[in-house]
Amino acid sequence: MPLLLFFMICLVLMAGYPVALSLAGVSLIFAGIGSLAGGFDSAFISLIPNRVYGILVNQNLYAVPLFVFMGTMLEKSKIADELLSNMAVVFRGFPGGLGLSVVIVGMLLAASTGIVGATVVTMGILSLPTMLKAGYKPSLATGTLCATGTLGQIIPPSICLVLLGEVMSNAYQQSQLNSGNFSPDFVSIGDLFAGAIIPGLILVVAYALYILAVAILRPMDAPAATEVELEATEASVIVALFKGLLPPVFLMVAVLGSILGGLATPTEAASVGAFGALLLALVRGALSIKVLHEVSLETMRVTSMVYLILVGATIFSSVFRGFGGDELVESVLLNLPGGVFTATFIVMLLIFLLGFILDFIEITFMIVPLVGPILLSMGVDPVWLGIMIAVNLQTSFLTPPFGFSLFYLRSVAPKEVLTSDIYRGAIPFVVIQLLVLCLLALQPNIVTWLPNLLKG
Amino acid sequence: MKLTPVFVIAEKIDQFTDKLGRSCAWLSLLMVLVTLTIVVFRYVFQMGSIALQESIMYINALVFTLGAAYTLKEQGHVRVDIFYSKFSPRAKAVVDIVGVCLFLFLTLGFIAVSSWDYVAVSWRIRESSTEASGLPFVYLLKSTIFLLVGLLALQGVSELIKSVRVLVASDK
Repeated sequence: MPLLLFFMICLVLMAGYPVALSLAGVSLIFAGIGSLAGGFDSAFISLIPNRVYGILVNQNLYAVPLFVFMGTMLEKSKIADELLSNMAVVFRGFPGGLGLSVVIVGMLLAASTGIVGATVVTMGILSLPTMLKAGYKPSLATGTLCATGTLGQIIPPSICLVLLGEVMSNAYQQSQLNSGNFSPDFVSIGDLFAGAIIPGLILVVAYALYILAVAILRPMDAPAATEVELEATEASVIVALFKGLLPPVFLMVAVLGSILGGLATPTEAASVGAFGALLLALVRGALSIKVLHEVSLETMRVTSMVYLILVGATIFSSVFRGFGGDELVESVLLNLPGGVFTATFIVMLLIFLLGFILDFIEITFMIVPLVGPILLSMGVDPVWLGIMIAVNLQTSFLTPPFGFSLFYLRSVAPKEVLTSDIYRGAIPFVVIQLLVLCLLALQPNIVTWLPNLLKG
Repeated sequence: MKLTPVFVIAEKIDQFTDKLGRSCAWLSLLMVLVTLTIVVFRYVFQMGSIALQESIMYINALVFTLGAAYTLKEQGHVRVDIFYSKFSPRAKAVVDIVGVCLFLFLTLGFIAVSSWDYVAVSWRIRESSTEASGLPFVYLLKSTIFLLVGLLALQGVSELIKSVRVLVASDK
């Protein structure tokens, strides 16, 4: 029955009705059938009101609207547009200069907005025409953009990591309570942020190296800019670049630094970041009542979207548990030959496949609470698991033919760019992702070193 | 197209949801400012107010419960749109009609019924914050669940009417 529920949900989701409501609706129908036919423990369902209220007052989630506000404000202040054009000019002499600029600006944009769709769409609109005009091979241009766009979830401060951190910390406590440890260790959102930094940078460097390699080996795929296109003098551009680069970088470092240094909670840092973004927009003359209202509306939209999914996922997991689904998952994972490795591998594979139909938020709320406590009680490190899931999903979103990132880019790419170009361009980046995933699996220290260092 | 009275209802609901959503959006700005105030007080003046801290809880809950219906109207709740985006308007309308009737109303009905006692108990004892200097309005905070249910249901009715209209129009 729990398996049937799970497959039914996946099937129903394909029809395209909003995920949050499909999740809740299908689960409730199953619960209804289960209570009539027997085999369903309705005690789980009676806890739902309390859990919905728990979502409303969960302090860790306050960071979500604040980070969304910050990201949207930075986007509206058009800072990325200017950065990109300035950076492209400065890097022009470099082989693959434009591609490298895209990766770097994309990383900054990703760090600030933290939403895959937003980053891919913004970058796609801004730089795809420029890259094509500069003579970049369409597949290289689109691959770079799709891959860079997915960085939004791994590079902190990312909303995905906030949500994952919240779920992971509950899972971690759960697993320790289950094993009879009543003074459990904690894992925080900040730990996850710290764990994500080095893997995130490794990915950025790997992308950059790949573009550089292509530019050197096949210059016609990524030509350096010709003198004709350049109008501004170099000195003024470098000044402009620093002017444009410094404020957002400073904002990122301040927000991230205060969280990692233990000075502020993610919520506090996010509010400072949001206000900082507002000031930045004001200084740049991009702030008006209209912009402020648009940003507030967008924040409300994304926030209610996230919270409604959380409510739907809560109803799903209550019903799933009511059918004994968590025991089923546990017995399957514990009895696999090969122990922790196989269990983790299977979970990763499942998440990868689910990444084709579900977004980060849904997977975090649906799957991690079910499998998290079990894997953690088998001795898996919570921060490592969180980052593995994040990089894994990032890979999934990039993998043809279903990757989300590819769809987003398709929606803003000009018609001359073939869908097959987009698919082909993504493949080298998927390979990079998989290599980094293997690296993290073999060397968990890459993830856990910084959080442990900060914890002292 | 000639609007029958039922379609006028949908239009009215949309206008209401839109107005409400657009005015309540300012709450997210308020949330930024209040949180910032708390941070400034804490780090600059070494002062903290539990009541102010708890007020974020209320603002945040309102952003969600007041915003969900607006988000529904604006198609802001994520769909798995691999297939949906390629459906004809007619097929989309069918999905949405089934979805509203089967999932939306069922879910909201369930939340409303199951939360009734939970919230009623809170009202009866005028439940207050567990903190001595906290805000004494926990029963109101819990009642926002009904705000969510009511507004979403109302917007659901409008979505239903609009989908039926698409269906009827494509029949002709």
